[in-house]
Amino acid sequence: MSSIHPDQITAERLAGLRDAPGDYVGPAGGADGSLIEDPAVRAPLVLNDRSFAEVTETVCSYAECGPPKAWLGLITITSLIAAVGTGMILYLIITGVGVWGLNNQVDWAWDITNFVFWIGIGHAGTLISAILCLLKQKWRTAVNRSAEAMTIFAVVCAGIFPGIHVGRVWFAWMLFPIPNSNGIWPNFRSPLLWDVFAVSTYATVSLLFWYMGMIPDLATLRDRAHLRMLQGRERRLTLPMPVGKDIVLPFVPSAERVAAYIYGFLALGWRFSSRHWHRYEAAYLILAGISTPLVLSVHSIVSFDFATSILPGWHTTIFPPYFVAGAVFGGFAMVLFLLIPCRQVMPGFKDLLTLRHLENMAKILLLTGMMVGFAYSMEFFIAWYGGNEFEWSVFINNRANPAEAPYWWAYWTMIGCNVLSPQIFWFRKLRQNPLAIWIVAGFVTVGMWFERFVIIVTSLHRAFLPGEWHMFFPTWVDILTFVGSCGIFATLFLLFLKYLPVFAMAELKAVMPQADPHGGGHGHDPVASVAGGASAGGASASKGVGP
Amino acid sequence: MAQMSARPAAISDDAYNARLEKIASSPEMREDNITLPYAGAMKLSGAMGVVGILGLLLVVIGAFVYNPKHALAAFEVGLFTVTAASLGSLFLVMIWNMMIAGWHVTIRRHFENAASLLPFCCLGLGAVVLIELWGPGREGSGVLLQWLYAEKQGTFLVEHKAGYLNPLFLGVRWVIYTVVWSFLALRLRALSREQDRTGDRWLSRKARFMSGWGLLITALTTAFAAFDFLMSMDYRFFSTMWGVYFFAISALAAVSLASLVFAGIRSMGRLTGVVTDEHFHDLGKLVFAFTCFWAYIAFGQYFLIWYSNIPEETYYFIHRTTGDWKPLFVALTFAHFVVPFVLLVSRIPKRSTLALGVAGVYMLVLTVADLVWIIRPMVYLGAEGAEAGPGMMGWWLDAAGILGVLGIYGALLIRQTASAPLIPTKDPMLHEAMAHKNYV
Repeated sequence: MSSIHPDQITAERLAGLRDAPGDYVGPAGGADGSLIEDPAVRAPLVLNDRSFAEVTETVCSYAECGPPKAWLGLITITSLIAAVGTGMILYLIITGVGVWGLNNQVDWAWDITNFVFWIGIGHAGTLISAILCLLKQKWRTAVNRSAEAMTIFAVVCAGIFPGIHVGRVWFAWMLFPIPNSNGIWPNFRSPLLWDVFAVSTYATVSLLFWYMGMIPDLATLRDRAHLRMLQGRERRLTLPMPVGKDIVLPFVPSAERVAAYIYGFLALGWRFSSRHWHRYEAAYLILAGISTPLVLSVHSIVSFDFATSILPGWHTTIFPPYFVAGAVFGGFAMVLFLLIPCRQVMPGFKDLLTLRHLENMAKILLLTGMMVGFAYSMEFFIAWYGGNEFEWSVFINNRANPAEAPYWWAYWTMIGCNVLSPQIFWFRKLRQNPLAIWIVAGFVTVGMWFERFVIIVTSLHRAFLPGEWHMFFPTWVDILTFVGSCGIFATLFLLFLKYLPVFAMAELKAVMPQADPHGGGHGHDPVASVAGGASAGGASASKGVGP
Repeated sequence: MAQMSARPAAISDDAYNARLEKIASSPEMREDNITLPYAGAMKLSGAMGVVGILGLLLVVIGAFVYNPKHALAAFEVGLFTVTAASLGSLFLVMIWNMMIAGWHVTIRRHFENAASLLPFCCLGLGAVVLIELWGPGREGSGVLLQWLYAEKQGTFLVEHKAGYLNPLFLGVRWVIYTVVWSFLALRLRALSREQDRTGDRWLSRKARFMSGWGLLITALTTAFAAFDFLMSMDYRFFSTMWGVYFFAISALAAVSLASLVFAGIRSMGRLTGVVTDEHFHDLGKLVFAFTCFWAYIAFGQYFLIWYSNIPEETYYFIHRTTGDWKPLFVALTFAHFVVPFVLLVSRIPKRSTLALGVAGVYMLVLTVADLVWIIRPMVYLGAEGAEAGPGMMGWWLDAAGILGVLGIYGALLIRQTASAPLIPTKDPMLHEAMAHKNYV
């Protein structure tokens, strides 16, 4: 292997003996050095030969700098939108669900559409943190933290809607099996109740997973704040203003002291000892093992809300895996939709989230998009094959046929966004182009919202008797509540970007070549890795397996 | 090396060849470690072939002297077990190619071999089609495929589905399945073997490209084949999950077969240091994962039909969960999910050659049981002595059909395995596979 340690390269660079990292474009790896096509070489997961220190510096700098003006402007807007959404919820609670466009026939519409939409968004985070962890997909370390954060925020948004759609919100506690004086229990045989348990379990485990994974990185932030205190580099705490000068707050501890206390509290006494790491790794693996069936169960149970019924368009057996695939699809689209702009504006982001990462995620979009396409076609085929004219009528007369179905545009928006738009990723140039990926991710996000709208509203709006047919039209409250939930999500995500470690630093470093000096096959230097690989193979042979 | 497309090399051919030579000169790569003893393999193959031929002969005799429906069902249980294993292997090869997986390289050759038996499986399916259409069935045509029965013609559902369920289109679809599966399986294996000879690393990229579109059309053809040969036996039944269900059966059958095969090869002292406990650990994880996946899919399908309780769907399960078929249903629930879940969740059995080999055999037996549960109830369904029970008197026919097909499949698989090195010797990710470790 090459005799130069990567950290030595950094040291030489800092001493002016080597070129600045910007000039380095990997070994024939396309635009940013990560798009290596050579089957013999793994693409680097961190670009520009970054050292461990540089990774720490990059990631911590997001949390340690003062709030940028652009960020302040954005969060002002998003929190205003969130406030409007909160206002709509208050208005709904004060007035009643009549402020929505629901009617006797369409008694679920945007509320449950939004619920399923948001719950689905979360699934990419769990897939990345759990399933890709079990599959040892090392590239996940670039996106797992932010995707897991999205999971939490999406579940927050999702939780709102079932809570407020029940009408008398003050009775929502009766969803939980709490003994009460009237002896009224929830209906344990209803999937709607299982949803309460599934979603709350999901929220709990996802939060645990996210938080536990963050502990070492929070400890890094704590230690850095403490170090600045010791070095006398403390800054005054200010009230940041979107425009004009920040207001310096009097009589309060310094920013470093506040950071050290808050991060220190959250880091739970993490000391980077081997014992801590050992337990951390074990706990991480256990949580990954638990989360894997969980990510499948949550959306399967959400699908049971529909599929256990006898309503044409809802009752179909493929719903559980189809919903799970759709959720992962929508979740990855959201991850890409938010991270591609971050990658453009945040310094150093591109070194950690490379074009190869984007390409991998684009491939997952293509794969999961075709999984939902597969499910759509199975549903359509069996709707005909089954010979049930009501089922067929839902597919043709309520959804697909523009001459008959008032919601045909929703159905074809869904097909266009979810099945057709990701097909451009068959072309390498397009799936390696951040702008193209971002546009498709936007389409998919829209398409996945429409998928839930199509499933819910087009199946409901025409019952078996034409006298019961009724269209659904959203009111301004419907619309602003959904927009408000997007505001809540965006606000939480912006807070995360500013105050928490956006990348899983510890995990990221573990997949960098420096972490494996004896070569495991992921180094920049393929010959180095083969030397290590062969010797490790020899080691396992000498342990002796066969007779 | 022919430059057929842009091949932006990241390392020079010299450096790459040096790496190949380094691997080739390592002690694990000596000839007798990575090949099967040819003569011994042929002997075993011959013995299995004899069992297979005797079994199939017995089935043919049974068809004439006992019950043609029962004989065909017995043959189909065996046939769909091996088709599932081969299709699952094809899926896994393509998935690994797509994911640029490293660890799997040393076990991939077996999956290529198993997939390359798809033409044999398709031959079997062709025989089924021929027997159904022109065989010694009831009043001309239709043995197990009820929609071909003369007395069913003109009924509403048969008329409704005639656009899909008709002899000509069934034949056309069989041709499509045969062409698609055989092409993909044989081509992928050919690329892998060509790489053994030439050391051309770009063949891996070629295989990856093929796997992309290959996965898509294999997914579709697998689903429709499952509709055609399994679901439409009872033409009234329909379930959108059915294709996924058969995929779950396939993936599990493939990894179970691989566990058995590698346990056998390792117990012969081959592949030492090449397929290690680490690979067994991961193979065991796949057996475990696909066992759970099967349970998820099977439960999802059953549960949604049970809960909604619509007669046009439930009758299918009522027949299979009550009366004489109930014990098999209960046994499947426990033996196919609960038992392997409990046993395989821990690390120890997955890393043991013996334990995982036994688990592979066990899961293959359960796969057979699953297919028995799907196929066999069709034999005595609404026949002359309607609801005549499972027909246990013909157990010898079932045994002959299953062992017959499995015997011939095993014989062919051993021949395939012995005909080339047990691993892709010049795969660009071989070094990763040989150094593979779990969480250390």
